[in-house]
Amino acid sequence: MVQTKKQKYLFLAFCLVPTFLLFAIFTLYPLVSGLYYSFFRWSGSASNMEFIGLSNYVRMFNDSIIPRTIMHDYFLVVTKVFGIMILATFFAVAIMQLKIKEAPFYRIIFFFPNIMSVVVIGILWTFIYNPSLGLVNSALEFVGLGNLTRPWLGSETWALPSIVFPSVWAGIGLFMLMLMGGIGTISKSYYEAAELDGATEWQQFWKVTLPLIWPQIKVSILYIVITTLNGSFILVQVMTGGGPNNSTHVMGSYLYQQAFVQYNFGYGAAIGVMILVLSLVTVFLLQILLRREKVQY
Amino acid sequence: MKKYFLNKPALMAGTVLLSVGLLAACGGDNEEAGGQGGNDQENNGSNNDASGGNGDISGELEIQYFVGGYGDSWWKEVIEDFQAEYPDVTIVEHAGPNINDEMRSRWVSDDPPDVVYIDGAGSSETQMVDDGQLMNLTDWINDVDSEDGSPLLDNLIVEPASYDGEIYSIPLVFDTWGTWYNRAKFEEEGYEVPSDFDSYMDTMGEIQDNEDISPFVTTGEHPYYFLRGVLTPAFGAAGGDELLADIVRGEEGVWERDEVVETMEKVVQMQEEGYIDDGFGAFNHTQSQMNFLLGDNAFIPVGFWLPNEMANDVPDDFEFGFIPSPLQDAGEPFAIVPDLRPLAIAENAENPEAAKAFVEFVFTQEYATAFSEHTGAIMNLEGVDLSENENVPPYLIEANDMINDPDQVQIYHRPHPMSADLETPIGNSLLSLMLGNKSLDEFIEEAENATADYRGE
Repeated sequence: MVQTKKQKYLFLAFCLVPTFLLFAIFTLYPLVSGLYYSFFRWSGSASNMEFIGLSNYVRMFNDSIIPRTIMHDYFLVVTKVFGIMILATFFAVAIMQLKIKEAPFYRIIFFFPNIMSVVVIGILWTFIYNPSLGLVNSALEFVGLGNLTRPWLGSETWALPSIVFPSVWAGIGLFMLMLMGGIGTISKSYYEAAELDGATEWQQFWKVTLPLIWPQIKVSILYIVITTLNGSFILVQVMTGGGPNNSTHVMGSYLYQQAFVQYNFGYGAAIGVMILVLSLVTVFLLQILLRREKVQY
Repeated sequence: MKKYFLNKPALMAGTVLLSVGLLAACGGDNEEAGGQGGNDQENNGSNNDASGGNGDISGELEIQYFVGGYGDSWWKEVIEDFQAEYPDVTIVEHAGPNINDEMRSRWVSDDPPDVVYIDGAGSSETQMVDDGQLMNLTDWINDVDSEDGSPLLDNLIVEPASYDGEIYSIPLVFDTWGTWYNRAKFEEEGYEVPSDFDSYMDTMGEIQDNEDISPFVTTGEHPYYFLRGVLTPAFGAAGGDELLADIVRGEEGVWERDEVVETMEKVVQMQEEGYIDDGFGAFNHTQSQMNFLLGDNAFIPVGFWLPNEMANDVPDDFEFGFIPSPLQDAGEPFAIVPDLRPLAIAENAENPEAAKAFVEFVFTQEYATAFSEHTGAIMNLEGVDLSENENVPPYLIEANDMINDPDQVQIYHRPHPMSADLETPIGNSLLSLMLGNKSLDEFIEEAENATADYRGE
């Protein structure tokens, strides 16, 4: 039953070659293509292209909307990381440690937004924010806070913060499950020992739970950052289209506008390269910032 | 078992098969015209008796048309009739609301359809001309005659767009943006239908007081609606075709001219009086139209597509009324700037003769009348009498009469549509002005910056 070396390599090739081919076709090829097209003036809707060297990158550095899109992206990153992680941790701890009978029900409820399409979520929240028919303004009026009502998505000031809520709401469930998995692996004896030593529940959370689920928290934060930088444009596109007056444009939605609305595909590709570089740098910095000694008791 | 499972030739064959399968699945395939999505249909006339038709025109003819507010029933009728007239032609239709995006890969790979109707999101006539995708029709169209023997170009309401004197498309749909209101409500409440900017402001003020609503709405998601529907005709009224041409071309200093500034001051006045719905920044195309139909607002500037597109949502007591956007000064006639949706032939059309035959076939009185009956809009052909036609909605008959009366309406023209690279930044800044977040001076400065960027300075 012992495999020869050749057989082993053949089996490995059988497993790896198709995977590598898929990776090459769907990841490497678009990546290299994006970089290639960023050196051209190309409308994206015809075959003729003109090589213009680094002109798209020069244009990008002079484009006053680009810094705004970067700020908007990182605003979403920061608010989503804090919003999702705080709430997901709270719910995970509550469900796992408070021993609520309805825990499975809450698990389903919190996870429910994750099985919905982001586009559906965007449309749903567009209705919730509707100035005249929406739930938010109606609720504010109902509780006597009518003076706080406003056209949330139509305001240059409030549109971007308004997008944070659906982003957080849609993200909690997945990370809550990840943290619950982490909490589930912690031996009960640690809590019993802590309790015998007189630790309060708050202290147990900070000294036992949090350090032991740090790997899950780290992965969750990295995942939120990457998906926000690469995917936040979907909600923006559906809810505001980047408006009003570019006040919600993130890098991805601006890329879309340039490439597919203004027919500057080459410039859009250059923005895509910028997103890649910023994502890599951000993840690299986060890896350093979140580095901690592995805790074992 | 071991021997069988790890058999080298079997493994190699499996790997190669998987790889080939993957490559085949990902490879380009243009054999199936139109690809996926949309509404691709084939009318094959090859079974018909060839001797009964026009023998010169044959082969496959691919037609791409966008289906939006005007629906597709008119297209179906025309294509069916063309098929009967030219039985040797096999017609392949590429149609749907997203057809421009769905056909993009065909255009990129220089394998376009023969005929294209340029309309809807994802299509741009100026871009297609810039990219050399459309056939130069200048010589051909000058030789095309109408049914009565007169040159077709003499019978068009609006001439084709001119790109350095060359013609690349023939305007098919004579759409015009204007301002819609609820005629039934106006008659019931005794509101005056505006005839100029002063009366417009008076009526909006009266409605605001009586109904407690912001009288004016547009979509903030697409700021160009206001630009095309209100400002462009207003600029036409203020400065004529010359000003419109300078704006479309992004001439230096055009936004600082007196006639432009005076027009923009009217917009500021509307904003300061609170006549513009403060939620408009969030409204998309459908929401703004829906709010208008529900009576949340009294005026909306959109094109002739509105009644047809929203036909299923019109309240029982609602009656469409249409006027050109009234931003002109008292004593001046209304102004409209036609927003044309053209028909063009691809530069790389595989069957240009059939494509030309189709374009020629469409521009007749019969199909112009049918167009109004099917869509509630006007085809770009003169001499179509809609006044006695019971199948045409009343607002269209009235609008048609108005448009054909120079005392009431003055028609202005742009040389070609505004480029998205110019329209987008100006539209964004305009939105901010209409929300009250930007002063007129700031808007003008940003509009001038946009024109400078457009000129490449």
